Amino acid sequence: MNYFDFVKILSPEIVLLLVAMGIIGMGCRGGKFAEAGACAFLSFVGVLLAVGALIFCAPDGQMAGGMIVLDPLVRLVKFAILAMVAVAVVLLQADRPSYHVAENFAMLLFAAIGLLLIVGTEEMLVIFVGLELAGLALYALAGFARSDLGAAEAALKYFLFGSVAAAFLLYGMSLIFGVCGTTELQAMSAALRKNAQEPILTAGLAMALVGFGFKVAAVPFHLWAPDVYQGAPTPAAAFVASGSKVAGFFILAKFLFIGFGGLEGSAGWGSFAPGWVPMLGVMAALSMVVGNLMALVQKSVRRMLAYSGIGHAGFLLLALMAASAESLEAVVFYTVIYGVATLGAFGVVGVVVRERGGDSFSRFAGLVKREPVLSFSMLVFLCSLAGLPPLAGFFGKFFLFTAAMGAGGILGAAPGLLWLVALALFFSAVSLYYYLLVLKQIFFISEDGVAGCSGEGLGVVPRAVIFLLAVVTVGLGCFPDLLLGPIHRAVEVLLGN
Amino acid sequence: MNFANLSFDFGVGITLHTYLVLSAALFCIGLVAVLARRNAILVLVGIELMLSAANINFIAFWRFGAHPEEMVGVLFALFSIAVAAGEAAVGLALIILVYRHYKTINPSQFRSLNG
Repeated sequence: MNYFDFVKILSPEIVLLLVAMGIIGMGCRGGKFAEAGACAFLSFVGVLLAVGALIFCAPDGQMAGGMIVLDPLVRLVKFAILAMVAVAVVLLQADRPSYHVAENFAMLLFAAIGLLLIVGTEEMLVIFVGLELAGLALYALAGFARSDLGAAEAALKYFLFGSVAAAFLLYGMSLIFGVCGTTELQAMSAALRKNAQEPILTAGLAMALVGFGFKVAAVPFHLWAPDVYQGAPTPAAAFVASGSKVAGFFILAKFLFIGFGGLEGSAGWGSFAPGWVPMLGVMAALSMVVGNLMALVQKSVRRMLAYSGIGHAGFLLLALMAASAESLEAVVFYTVIYGVATLGAFGVVGVVVRERGGDSFSRFAGLVKREPVLSFSMLVFLCSLAGLPPLAGFFGKFFLFTAAMGAGGILGAAPGLLWLVALALFFSAVSLYYYLLVLKQIFFISEDGVAGCSGEGLGVVPRAVIFLLAVVTVGLGCFPDLLLGPIHRAVEVLLGN
Repeated sequence: MNFANLSFDFGVGITLHTYLVLSAALFCIGLVAVLARRNAILVLVGIELMLSAANINFIAFWRFGAHPEEMVGVLFALFSIAVAAGEAAVGLALIILVYRHYKTINPSQFRSLNG
């Protein structure tokens, strides 16, 4: 093992780190160096360089006993996260942050580094440190709108919930370490085959799931999500809802599939067996029910998006319960699709918040007359989230549910997860209602009486980016193989090893 | 000096279980402080206690584990101490930020976001 190899395999993270440091330096110099435009440009260049480093510099491989791992699937997820960071940078610039401009961008990049680290590892120490790096940066990012009361409160709530979840995660990891004597996921699963019956291990696993459940906003660890999505600046909320979720679900899948392979248990109807699948089952069912029902009664669109995001987390957990290669593919596909649609939706919501001074449903009235492109983009995002064909969300949900059906035998032979899939299908239909409420305001209510419209409008670049996200959502709906193909091949490579 | 073979004898049998009970108690005390939600600083203190409890676990499992010559447990504890320090810094900054708006740091009185 050579030090230079470390630098090569970590080159995307190192590039981002250097750029983030440079941006903080620009903030210290002040003046025109600290303007949002300059910082956004530098961040964007940094992300492009990181993508370049990921393509040309970083070789596939494993370092330091699984601490740093790069394989085709990890590479794909890293690309997705970097793309989401780039979109978040554009949205942040469009939001015209007034305080600590440079630090805003630097924190976004630090969060991105943390997410890239947790995606590319199979070791608990790096998972913990990466989660905390991403978390601490995101808490700060959520609180940067200093004059805003909601942002401060959201940031503190996010921090308090996040830190408690991190403490649970760390304690759970310590118990798992105690039973297995190792922190590497691969070695863990080998050690677990010998002492699977330890009660302390179940406690450790449950506590670790608290930490991950917080990160992916699953019920009952979801309480922070509505407040943060509503109170934090929209670009920060958009990134928490997209990039952070992609990484959270990916590492949760790895943690369970690699570290706890063989301890699945079963949550099939009439065939319960202890393990992590029933634990996920409880979280999945609660998330679907609570998330979708609470979304129905919200008045703020951002809060509605938060609760619907909790519902989507339930769908994703359902697919994880199948614990198969298909479910991993479906989860990666769906988180990316969900992230793209959510980023776009938050981009549009951000415009409405800035120009009309709020995000209640009625503020969206008549948006189509003023902003036809953004309105039709919003139509695409929300319909994709609701899972209407031919948009990407439909295929995402289709793959999720077929993966879940695949668990526990063929239909008819064993009911398996059918009861949860039925619940998911039902709530998927429910979710259509609250998405349509927003679209009704945008397309069918006239904008008379809506205060404000003071807007300086949205720049060309953010407009183009939101449109591009809509195009991606439609494109992946018509040709899901464009994304699913690479994911499938990457998983094949993994299984081949 | 080989740390692994260093044994402490305090007259009572201090075993792995002693440490586990201590850390579990510490974790519960921290959790109670968090759930009481009287004061954001005390919540922060509670979180630090919970993290320390986990550190005790790591050290104890490392010391009494099968492979004390691998420094995994110590390494984990060191990293988590550093993370806890960063967490305290960010937490205090956010508490000051909220105090400027609300003139209180009682988390149950933050009510601008609801629904």
